[in-house]
Amino acid sequence: MAAAATCGTGAGNKGCTAAAAAAAGKNNVTSFQRKGPRASVPDSGCARLVSIAGTRPSVRNGQLLVSTGLPALDQLLGGGLAVGTVLLIEEDKYNIYSSLLFKYFLAEGVINGHTLLVASAKEDPADILQELPAPLLDDNCKKDFDEDVCNHKTPESNIKMKIAWRYQLLPKMEPGPVSSSRFGHYYDLSKRMPQELIEASIWHGFFFPEKLSPTLNIEPCSLTHGYIKLLQFIQNVIYEEGFDGSNPQKKQKNILRIGIQNLGSPLWGDDICCTENCDNSHSLTKFLYVLRGLLRTSLSACIITMPTHLIQNKAIIARVTNLSDTVVGLESFIGSERETNPLYKDYHGLIHIRQIPRLNNLIYDVSDVKDLAFKLKRKLFTIERLHLPPDLSDTVSRSSKQIPAASSRLLGPDCGVMAGGRKHLDF
Amino acid sequence: MESVWGVGGLVLLRDSVEWEGRSLLKAFVKKSALCGEQVHILGCEVSEDEFREGFDSSINSRLVYHDLFRDPFNWSQAGGALPGGPLGALRALCKRTEPGPVTIALDSLSWLLLHLPCTTLCQALCALSQQHSPLGGSPPVEPVRVLGLLHMELHGPGPMGALSSLAQTEVTLSGTAGQALAHILCQRPRQHPTHQTQCFSILPDFSLDLQEGPPLESQPHPDPHIPPVEPTTHLTFNLHLSKKEREAKDSLTLPFQFSSEKQQALLRPGPSQATSNIFYEPDVYDDLDQEDPDDDLDV
Repeated sequence: MAAAATCGTGAGNKGCTAAAAAAAGKNNVTSFQRKGPRASVPDSGCARLVSIAGTRPSVRNGQLLVSTGLPALDQLLGGGLAVGTVLLIEEDKYNIYSSLLFKYFLAEGVINGHTLLVASAKEDPADILQELPAPLLDDNCKKDFDEDVCNHKTPESNIKMKIAWRYQLLPKMEPGPVSSSRFGHYYDLSKRMPQELIEASIWHGFFFPEKLSPTLNIEPCSLTHGYIKLLQFIQNVIYEEGFDGSNPQKKQKNILRIGIQNLGSPLWGDDICCTENCDNSHSLTKFLYVLRGLLRTSLSACIITMPTHLIQNKAIIARVTNLSDTVVGLESFIGSERETNPLYKDYHGLIHIRQIPRLNNLIYDVSDVKDLAFKLKRKLFTIERLHLPPDLSDTVSRSSKQIPAASSRLLGPDCGVMAGGRKHLDF
Repeated sequence: MESVWGVGGLVLLRDSVEWEGRSLLKAFVKKSALCGEQVHILGCEVSEDEFREGFDSSINSRLVYHDLFRDPFNWSQAGGALPGGPLGALRALCKRTEPGPVTIALDSLSWLLLHLPCTTLCQALCALSQQHSPLGGSPPVEPVRVLGLLHMELHGPGPMGALSSLAQTEVTLSGTAGQALAHILCQRPRQHPTHQTQCFSILPDFSLDLQEGPPLESQPHPDPHIPPVEPTTHLTFNLHLSKKEREAKDSLTLPFQFSSEKQQALLRPGPSQATSNIFYEPDVYDDLDQEDPDDDLDV
């Protein structure tokens, strides 16, 4: 897990304490010294802490994090996506919002100067990169953000709370754009990323139909042909560009952002979406296992979108969830009966944080907010807490109705008639 | 139906036993032939004569028919059969290089699904509908329209879901009381899918007759007897205040607010003791004796 960074931290600490002890001996001051900023650490003897652009250590356990491109999602995941882990996005039904998250991730890589690796079986990676959203610049973004917020604000929310005034001091769900934020940028979906930024970035594309030669004799193997090719490609890039520390070059360390689109769909040659009893049901799980091994030994982070609503065998979804680190599910309201429900009218869908990894930790970093909804505004993708008012209709179904019936059947015959009857006791 | 025509890509025509879709497929084929596009037909389920029946000679001359029905596995080894079987035929269609808009009709996708593995078919369809020029030269701008006839009852949810995710447009045929209906789900990339319903009928010469919009019965409401839940009704408190009420509410001093008047009242000494009187009215049973009340105890 980001071995280089942790080694650097260890060496830096030792070096700092050695230098501090030396300074204390000279000037006769206490040996307790504040750990100053890295720039003031003397060069003699201690290794410099390498700070990679676009990353920051987690405030909880020091894990190196990268931004997912959406600051609201970063906050839900505990600060960001850890380097060396996989973020799995379960696609919504028409793949509209999951492709947005995919693009945010890649755009964040372009802005921070990370190397990109884009793999897709449906679209050409060059086309995907052309459609990345443009970053919101600092002076414009606050204006746009406020204008978006004011459009939806009602006059009642402007009143300061008089009785429950302590609740105003609580931090809001989504902080506004910080003008000097280096970690996590905001993007404008109505504009495209400028061409010069895309050309200045280093990216590798893997478009599966190009690699698939029709006359190839596919030998039977446990992994689907497409997955093998993709793993080899990723391994080559990691090795050649030195993300796993194998090429001892002096150049600046960088992060590799890998994006794989529509993994598991039939276009990759995997038939888990087509049948329930497939021949290669372990192909996808083996791919994820090997991929995670590649990621853990290199400075990279990966986003995968997967059409889990098409996978026929539900056991595979459970295995895939276990094999990924962070799993986020998107459920859009399009076409479902929730679209016309007045309770959900402000939102476009629900977002479920299904799993958060436990990296070098004993506890999970889960936020206490469980029901979240997302909304695609004209320029921004926002995630908010879903406040459902209580359901006041008489016909609200109670799932506990089944339980008294089952227990009354278990009672012996000498119990009263009332207990054996079908009438439920509703307390 | 114009939405079907506007965007290229894969168009799925899902039919069933009650409402067959081959006549609609032939109507679409006729329409593109009349527009001057090139039309290729991969015929698998019916013979060529049966497919061409009903078209007049001008249209028939424009159709390029690839026949897989007569000899799908090339057993007769005559020259007429397509090499490579169904997959070879599809790949050959991908490789054509003539310029201009093209419509490819697959009759039917169900036959191809039963004879080819689903993943191979999906990959071939994707390559067919995208038409990436392998020469890497000019980007292809002419739309390629692939019409696929799919019989809904023959396949499980897996292949149907996989093909739906690939399709740009899905036309599901149904009907009520002799009137054919088409439910069109148009899914452009990165846009919201649009849904519409259209009544239509096919005339004997396979031209499409679109009738007046949605049928008489509207889409079934999920709960026709229960109105949608409006959470702000039947509340015991008032959510909407009039202006006077709002002013009165704002000017009210709350008991725990530490305003300056309260501070002055607390700091002011003087006759405030007069306000802290205790008023006592003795009861009938109360003993107002000032002596020691414990005297009656036998201590």
